[in-house]
Amino acid sequence: MLNNKNIVIGIAGSGGDGVISAGEILVNAASSEGLFVFMLKSFGAQIRGGESSVRVRMSDLPVQSQGDRIDIMVVLSWSNFNRFKNELLLEEKVIIISDADDPMSDKDVPLSEEQRQYWYKIPFNKLSEEQTGGRQSKNIVMLGAISELFSLPKQALRKSIEKIFRNKPPEVTESNIKAMEAGTAYVQEHVEKTDPLAFEYESREARLVMQGNEAIAMGAIYAGLDFYAGYPITPSTEIMEWISRYLPQRDGISMQMEDELASINAILGASFAGKKAMTATSGPGISLMNEGIGLASMAELPVVIVNVQRGGPSTGLPTKTEQADLMQAIWGSHGDSPRVVIAPCDVEDCFDSTVLAFYISEKYQMPVIILSDQFIGHRKESINPKAIRGGKTGFRKIYHRDIPTDAELQDYHRFRNTENGVSPMSYPGIKGGEYLGSGIEHDEKGNPRSDAGNHARMTEKRWRKMDYIKKEFRFERFYGPRESKLGIIAWGSTKGAVKEAVNKANAMGIPVSALIPQLIYPFLIEPFKEFIQNKNRVIIPELSYAGQFRRYLRGFVRFAQYGVRVIPLRKTGVAPFAVEEILEKIIEEWKDMEARR
Amino acid sequence: MSETTEKTMSARDYKSDLKPIWCPGCGNFGFLNALYLTFQELQLQPENTAVVSGIGCSSRLPGYVKTYAFNGVHGRVLPFASGVKMSRPETTVIAVGGDGDGFSIGAGHIGHAARKNINITYVVLDNNIYGLTKGQASPTTPLGVKTKTTYYGNMGMQFNPVRMLIAYKASFVARTFSGDPKHIRKVLVEAIRHNGFSFVEVLSPCVTFRGKDQFKIIRDKVRYLDEQHHADNELEAFDVANDEKELALGVIYKKPRPTYDEIINADVTTKAKAVSHGKPKVNKLMDQFKP
Repeated sequence: MLNNKNIVIGIAGSGGDGVISAGEILVNAASSEGLFVFMLKSFGAQIRGGESSVRVRMSDLPVQSQGDRIDIMVVLSWSNFNRFKNELLLEEKVIIISDADDPMSDKDVPLSEEQRQYWYKIPFNKLSEEQTGGRQSKNIVMLGAISELFSLPKQALRKSIEKIFRNKPPEVTESNIKAMEAGTAYVQEHVEKTDPLAFEYESREARLVMQGNEAIAMGAIYAGLDFYAGYPITPSTEIMEWISRYLPQRDGISMQMEDELASINAILGASFAGKKAMTATSGPGISLMNEGIGLASMAELPVVIVNVQRGGPSTGLPTKTEQADLMQAIWGSHGDSPRVVIAPCDVEDCFDSTVLAFYISEKYQMPVIILSDQFIGHRKESINPKAIRGGKTGFRKIYHRDIPTDAELQDYHRFRNTENGVSPMSYPGIKGGEYLGSGIEHDEKGNPRSDAGNHARMTEKRWRKMDYIKKEFRFERFYGPRESKLGIIAWGSTKGAVKEAVNKANAMGIPVSALIPQLIYPFLIEPFKEFIQNKNRVIIPELSYAGQFRRYLRGFVRFAQYGVRVIPLRKTGVAPFAVEEILEKIIEEWKDMEARR
Repeated sequence: MSETTEKTMSARDYKSDLKPIWCPGCGNFGFLNALYLTFQELQLQPENTAVVSGIGCSSRLPGYVKTYAFNGVHGRVLPFASGVKMSRPETTVIAVGGDGDGFSIGAGHIGHAARKNINITYVVLDNNIYGLTKGQASPTTPLGVKTKTTYYGNMGMQFNPVRMLIAYKASFVARTFSGDPKHIRKVLVEAIRHNGFSFVEVLSPCVTFRGKDQFKIIRDKVRYLDEQHHADNELEAFDVANDEKELALGVIYKKPRPTYDEIINADVTTKAKAVSHGKPKVNKLMDQFKP
């Protein structure tokens, strides 16, 4: 459905077509105008070359998701578009822009009769060659053309083009500006606009543009990260790339290790030495780290572990998203191993969640897992600059680890069984605080012990911290009218599509509300009690074939006791939930509920 | 705790209250006593010393010293030690473990700690067997030796740790013998003083699973390096390492080069600060996300 204030532009082409940079220029331009932007990239498996596509949603109003269907599809090459046709779903009345000289004949192009109604063919390659002597600026020609066709912010686009080439010789910028102008002029002179789309927006204060992975890196630096150790793995690598660049500027250390086993153990060493430490990984990497996470639980070492989930199991789908590491995050290590699991649900939230993760980890001396995913990690979103920079919203508290007092050092018990289970922690350099830390069961002093009584006592001490975390924090989101009989419970990146579907359903007169728990573990029952007490049905959408989230919730929430019917909505990963998938389910359930009244 | 003058430390001051779990006659006792004496000789302050380990008989050692100590998971002592050292460069970090912990499950880490030249000392108490699990083949168990998991004789060739460490360009490689605590002490003092990654293989007999005659067998097989040996000559060091009939004791290879933290301090931090002009505020870092 066409909406002039909210458009989704798709661009597809070969790796050399400049698809991604065109997307980034669009995103930067829109953000500099203060628009709400959401950008998803998708690549083939090739390192260089191959095919790529982007989807840019820009809107005058807040947006929560990538947008289900594409309003404007720019095809730099039809043969490459074909590889994305399952990911890039087009509107019935889509507007197509393609290269006038594309070798694929019109009849072979995968478009329905209806979708061919608005189809502009523009000689991107030819115009680029005329202006720059080569084809490399065809993406810029295209930007000039679509900015004219759809009233996109032309000045901002020009500035973004200048910015992207700022490190190149001035003649490169000049020829690209010419390319943009050539695209604009071509449309003015040769194209008769037949479609009704013209973007409408109000210019506001510029917004920041970030990826989830970048927001985690910055959140960690804000929280006072001292030491990072990691091993590159898609889709988490950007976290380390940013940290290795900026942490040294802030007197911290970033070490690239030989594998994930080394990474987790290196941060445990740093934590033992009194420093705030973090690692980030994905897929197979988090499986390898689980032994070390158990050591963190046992030795009561504060560390933050980021898992940017990807499709699995095994190598799975490194560049695609899924929500199927949930159970592993909670129960992953052998033994009863307490840890905290926090799930950010959008890019801005990645910053907050990371600050919170450090706070809990340093205060309660245990591993905290941030469970992000590729969908949040790799997408670009425009962020309210005040949300992060002003420090007024979100979680911004910093905790400095409890260290023993002089009196406590007279007879230091590193694992003293205190009321809340947290024992002051010394580190090398503190005289009198020497102790043996270990993964072997130990007594309050740190000495190895294997009797039943001690094991029971120390296990209980380590788990008591979880109770105090539950008392101290609540971290969840509610959307929609709480009195609705129909509810949705979702987690992590699924929030975007859920929130938008709830808004749409409410606007259609269907009462439905959603709960998004973010402190996943320890499990807080209160938000669920409040949420389900008046519900008849609860839909649980998740990107996990096995329905891990639903099974997890069922371990704690007695839905049947509340008379609530649970409706699973589970699918395997790669494509995140579309708003319409969730909306359809809402409508289906609501109709059924109405029919049974 | 505000003592202005540090008291003189004696070997006993480094001894914890825990009693070693080792079998009577274990080679590790000789090493542990030599370690206390080494600490005394170097007058290491317990609060600025960390002894860390993985899993195994010898990996129980951190429990027996009164310094900062850590007994982590199997095979990961070097990454853990690297994390400690890079976080507290003023701390003397000694990583300790056995041949199973180091050359089997943890073998992947040795080359990297060596190549990065992390300024720690790594001691492997090599007893050619898995002792804690009661007598299975390790990477240094000789070919053909019958163990509980090699019922018809060990099928794999014995590993040569010293040769591996020289190949990895560890900046300090030495071998010593738990039957000669004085020699251990001499080697350890030099290893700890060495600025960079130092590796010490200690031939440390397991009398329980390799036999009581191991001390004699090793004693008959070793020779001491003298000043004729040029430890800074890699080829000479390889020749010494390759001699598996007569095991040379002493510093076999030694070639200092900049350590990881020196490179960070001299190079990485300088470059980073040159870009950022001092320590940037987070708000400033966020500027780059402006469109």
